[in-house]
Amino acid sequence: MGSPPLFYRWSSKIIPWLGILAIIFLSVGLFWGLLIAPTDYKQGDVYRILYVHVPSAILGQSIFMFMAACGLINVVWRAKISGMMLKSAAPIGMSFTLIALVTGSVWGKPTWGTWWVWDARLTSTLILLFIYAALIGLYSSIDDKTKADRGVSILSIVGLAIIPVIKKSVDWWQTLHQPSTFTLTSSPSMSPEMYQPLLLCVIGFYLIFAFTLTLNLRNEVIDRERSKNWVKQIFVN
Amino acid sequence: MLLQGTDLQILTQPLLRFDMRSSVLDWLGIILKRDLIIAFRRSSTYITPLVFFLIVITFFPLALGPQESLLSSLAPGVIWIAALLASLLAVESIFSEDFRDGSLDDFFVSLEPSFILVFAKVMIHWLITGLPILIASSLAAIILYLPLESFVPMILSLLLGTSFMSLLGALGAALSLGKSAILSAIIVLPFSIPTLLMGTSVVTFSLNNQDYSGFLMMMGAMLAIGIPLLCLLTVEALLLNYD
Repeated sequence: MGSPPLFYRWSSKIIPWLGILAIIFLSVGLFWGLLIAPTDYKQGDVYRILYVHVPSAILGQSIFMFMAACGLINVVWRAKISGMMLKSAAPIGMSFTLIALVTGSVWGKPTWGTWWVWDARLTSTLILLFIYAALIGLYSSIDDKTKADRGVSILSIVGLAIIPVIKKSVDWWQTLHQPSTFTLTSSPSMSPEMYQPLLLCVIGFYLIFAFTLTLNLRNEVIDRERSKNWVKQIFVN
Repeated sequence: MLLQGTDLQILTQPLLRFDMRSSVLDWLGIILKRDLIIAFRRSSTYITPLVFFLIVITFFPLALGPQESLLSSLAPGVIWIAALLASLLAVESIFSEDFRDGSLDDFFVSLEPSFILVFAKVMIHWLITGLPILIASSLAAIILYLPLESFVPMILSLLLGTSFMSLLGALGAALSLGKSAILSAIIVLPFSIPTLLMGTSVVTFSLNNQDYSGFLMMMGAMLAIGIPLLCLLTVEALLLNYD
């Protein structure tokens, strides 16, 4: 998988499967969650936004962890493909984080009465968005792509080290400034009829990520290797 | 270059010595001495962040009104934000001058540890921005009616926090070498949030007569991990320019 031509051939086989699986999981999960799952006795039907909000929030965080792992591999072993992976994953992770924030405030308006509260989770998600922006900003400022990859890798390693600290400090800060009144987001007891479709949605979102990542990565590989022979062979025939 | 005649001889001689007899501390001392001389010959390097800090501090009472109760409750945050911004101001100059005139190349080919070079640069940045801010912060605390009991925690938290900011700033400067200064600010600011939160918490806790030692220990731990990790990553980032 390390070499670009091998990856390109291998990924063209796997892409349709990823797409089909993502469609299956998402359509079943969303249909089940949005139409069949029981209505919440307190919030009514509003809670159903959770089936989009929770998976995208999970994805926003785990894509960052994925990127940091790619960054570590890129810095230590100088594996080219991991740098491209990091670059291709960044916009996807940022989009999911943005979706989580937007759906969160859409959900917050009817239930909490405001679009935004300075709750620990919201704050740390917003900071995550800024970190994504910093990574993408740094990438676009360096012309040489291999160097840009390594620069972003270095920064993502710092992010990996500092994100737990950010979470912890935001928690302390929040308990310092206001009592945590909004425990809504962290309700631990969720009925299985609501939980099962959520699980399907989360898996579906992961598959969407894998699907879009592979597509992005293929573009990136072709773009960087456009002067190589194997690319010419594919596109001339 | 602001060095002349005899200084140049003293300073360049050890750099040309390839025999590795000099210890790491000698090397650190040489860079510190060289950079301090350069910094003090151009007074704007250490006066600009200081004046910037005091101007920002002055703007808050002007914008928010001079009520004593309001200002003293806002003082921790105001001082901390001004300190963060002021220490970011000089970030660009950490490596750019040496990169432009080629001294950085000489440092790298001198066979001396580049980790020490970065560490020395961080120390210099702290000495010319962090230390003046630390001294000026007592003045800022008086202007903003911060109670006298909170002075010591404020100084302690700024001491740890500005040092960590210098480390982060060096990484930002190395990554954005030769590019706009605003880029390094955008890179560094999201990562400085824990420092800001814990630093202001220290001062706020001391205002409320609560125990703030936990935050200080946490900031110290961040600094202890940050020195090796961030210096190594900064070396890595600098080497990006020498492929």
